[in-house]
Amino acid sequence: MKRKLLAIMMAVCVTASFAGGSATVFAAQEESTAKDEVIVTMPTTSEPESGFDPAYGWGAGEHVHEPLIQSTLTTTNTDLSIGMDLATDYSVSDDGLTWTVKIRDDVKFTDGEALTASDVAFTYNNCRDNSSVNDFSMLKEAVAVDDTTVEFHMNTPFAVWPYTMAIVGIVPEHAYDENYGQDPIGSGRYIMKQWDKGQQVIFEANPDYYGEAPKMKKVTVLFMEEDAALAAAQSGTVDVAHTAASYSDMTVDGYDLFSVQTVDNRGFNLPATAAEEIDGVTYGNDFTSDVEVRRAINIGIDREEMIQNVLNGYGTPAYSVCDKMPWYNEEAEVEYDLDKAKEILETAGWAEGDDGIREKDGVRAEFTMLYPASDSVRQALAEDSKNQLAELGIEVSTEGVDWDTAYTRAESEPLVWGWGAHTPMELYNIYHTMSETGLAEYSPYANETVDKYMDEALKSSDLEASYDLWKKAQWDGESGITQEGDIPWIWLCNIDHLYFVKDGLKVADQKIHPHGHGWSIVNNVDQWSWE
Amino acid sequence: MKNRWNRRKTLVLWLVIAVVFLIAVCISGLFCEDAARATDFSRKNLAPCLKYPFGTDWLGRDMFARTVRGLSISIIIGVCAATFSAVMAFILGVVSATMGKTADTIVTWIIDLVMGIPHMLLLILICVACGRGLKGVILGVALTHWTSLARLIRGEVLQLKEQIYIKTARKLGKSNLYIAMKHMVPHLLPQFIVGLVLLFPHAILHESSITFLGFGLSNEQPAIGIILSEAMKYLITGKWWLALFPGIMLVITVVCFYTTGENLRRLLDPASAHE
Repeated sequence: MKRKLLAIMMAVCVTASFAGGSATVFAAQEESTAKDEVIVTMPTTSEPESGFDPAYGWGAGEHVHEPLIQSTLTTTNTDLSIGMDLATDYSVSDDGLTWTVKIRDDVKFTDGEALTASDVAFTYNNCRDNSSVNDFSMLKEAVAVDDTTVEFHMNTPFAVWPYTMAIVGIVPEHAYDENYGQDPIGSGRYIMKQWDKGQQVIFEANPDYYGEAPKMKKVTVLFMEEDAALAAAQSGTVDVAHTAASYSDMTVDGYDLFSVQTVDNRGFNLPATAAEEIDGVTYGNDFTSDVEVRRAINIGIDREEMIQNVLNGYGTPAYSVCDKMPWYNEEAEVEYDLDKAKEILETAGWAEGDDGIREKDGVRAEFTMLYPASDSVRQALAEDSKNQLAELGIEVSTEGVDWDTAYTRAESEPLVWGWGAHTPMELYNIYHTMSETGLAEYSPYANETVDKYMDEALKSSDLEASYDLWKKAQWDGESGITQEGDIPWIWLCNIDHLYFVKDGLKVADQKIHPHGHGWSIVNNVDQWSWE
Repeated sequence: MKNRWNRRKTLVLWLVIAVVFLIAVCISGLFCEDAARATDFSRKNLAPCLKYPFGTDWLGRDMFARTVRGLSISIIIGVCAATFSAVMAFILGVVSATMGKTADTIVTWIIDLVMGIPHMLLLILICVACGRGLKGVILGVALTHWTSLARLIRGEVLQLKEQIYIKTARKLGKSNLYIAMKHMVPHLLPQFIVGLVLLFPHAILHESSITFLGFGLSNEQPAIGIILSEAMKYLITGKWWLALFPGIMLVITVVCFYTTGENLRRLLDPASAHE
């Protein structure tokens, strides 16, 4: 018993004092001396669990990015307008129910077979039937009309379809089976050469690529935690190491800190209906259901200070889920004004009690703010929100939760979320009501006008013109989801994605990164270069 | 002088110091819950100084308050789990030794079963199955730690049953209850108490371990396991104080419990009680 106890004690000592040591253990990598190779680190969560298959979230997943191995029909440009990849032209019928896409005829998969419209149709029908991550229920059927023309027949109009076409990699019908994700064949810029699960993926440039030949011939992606990535940079073994704001004050010899603007936002939901129990789950919250409370919170939070406190300055204030996107309505922007926030609460009848916490009709101004337990940035945001809201006379307690309970609890309690994607559908996902419940999916809220604008936007036959409707869904001058409107979500900041980049490596201009600190950085790795 | 500080007195002195330390930590922990959780970004990442002897972390939380609070949580969990575990061991040990062959087979079989599964694995399994948190940890630790003490008590009772004075008492017509209370319990009690105290350090270390691994307490709680696992991320940036002090304090606490148990054993154990 004594020896065992001593052994455990030793283990704790060793863990406590040398924990950092284990972090530095990673797959030994040769230093990339050749000037057309690059080694990039990514969080372990970026490793695609189900392989490199678009039907299981590769590219078209929770965190959207270009699939590298496969070609897509369209792409998103730096300004997030739609560009072309395989497609040469696309059009939509007036009723919005049929998309016709013309594709290139000179594209071959890396196994030598030509890519035709039937591969495109197969890919999309397969995604519709099997996609475990993204919703393809709007697609009725994809049909190859001839070798270079594909038609998408929709169940409902879906004007933002070009954004979906930008993330779905086209797979070869002849070489697709359930193991495709493990050994993918595509027609994109890179070929997946080697995948050591839990460690690394090695990509090599596709010599037969139809577009501009990639400058980087070999790309190695290592999966590791941030502390290990920092250690890897310190030892000079990687070229690009992802990092977090909490490490941004570190200097690494031979590396510069590279920061990319994002729409990777963090914010919390404020349930906009009164508390009510349905099937054992509480929906709504009696305190946050008062719109004046939500308005006061929105202007009572000093986002700049929060960015300094939590992100060491590496972030931008967020006022919506889609800041800087072409469909963002700038009316969402608000000024921090603590006095006005207090005034709003006073006017609405929330008077300060003896303990400094406001109260109205027996309801105390308090709630629990949840955050995913494993995310230290969201924890810090929750803690800072708690401190700031205390000045308003609102008592917040914080609690770390797992995702298996977070979704349910967020129906009645604010949760610190991360969102942001290269499609206006993000607005729809958050604010549009679901037909079954009549409430929005992630936090109880409903507004017919907001729904109506978004439905119209999806029905629109002109994507660019529909941006205006998406903006109106946010604020049309009378109603919406901004400060003057219902403000059911409070957006705090967009988190800059930070990387330590080795001197001499020129990382090509990045488009605004979406949510997910992973694959976005290598969207254009083919254009990177060494000086 | 030599006479005054014989081994027995030294033992008592250490015992008192250990117990006072543990009680002090436990009680001060109860009073610094707010301080342990309060964040203040204007004082984040401070190295140890006079005002913050253990430094502050990346949320500007006072590591001293967190450590004390964490140890206090650990001690409370340790006491609950160890008591639960020891009582269970006592009951099962006695049942096994006195209730006949079938009961003995069943209890011994359960003991072998629990001991056969790797400790940590079973602990994590039970803890997660019980919904984690305080309840999960206490149940997990309690349900995995009773086996060796139960075995000890079973052996002790089996041995006692064969003692002449017990047999004599039985022949004199004393009831089972009388024999148990008058003859068995006084003999078993020291074993039981020492076993109980020696369970504390195990319980505390296991609580910290599973919390460190992410299967225990939720991470807004300033438990030692949470503190250590959070500190891991920042060690590479040179913030050594985040792990060092809580780690050392944890070891001191465990050593204190261990000293208490060992010293109690020496004081109570007939073989060494007269040294």
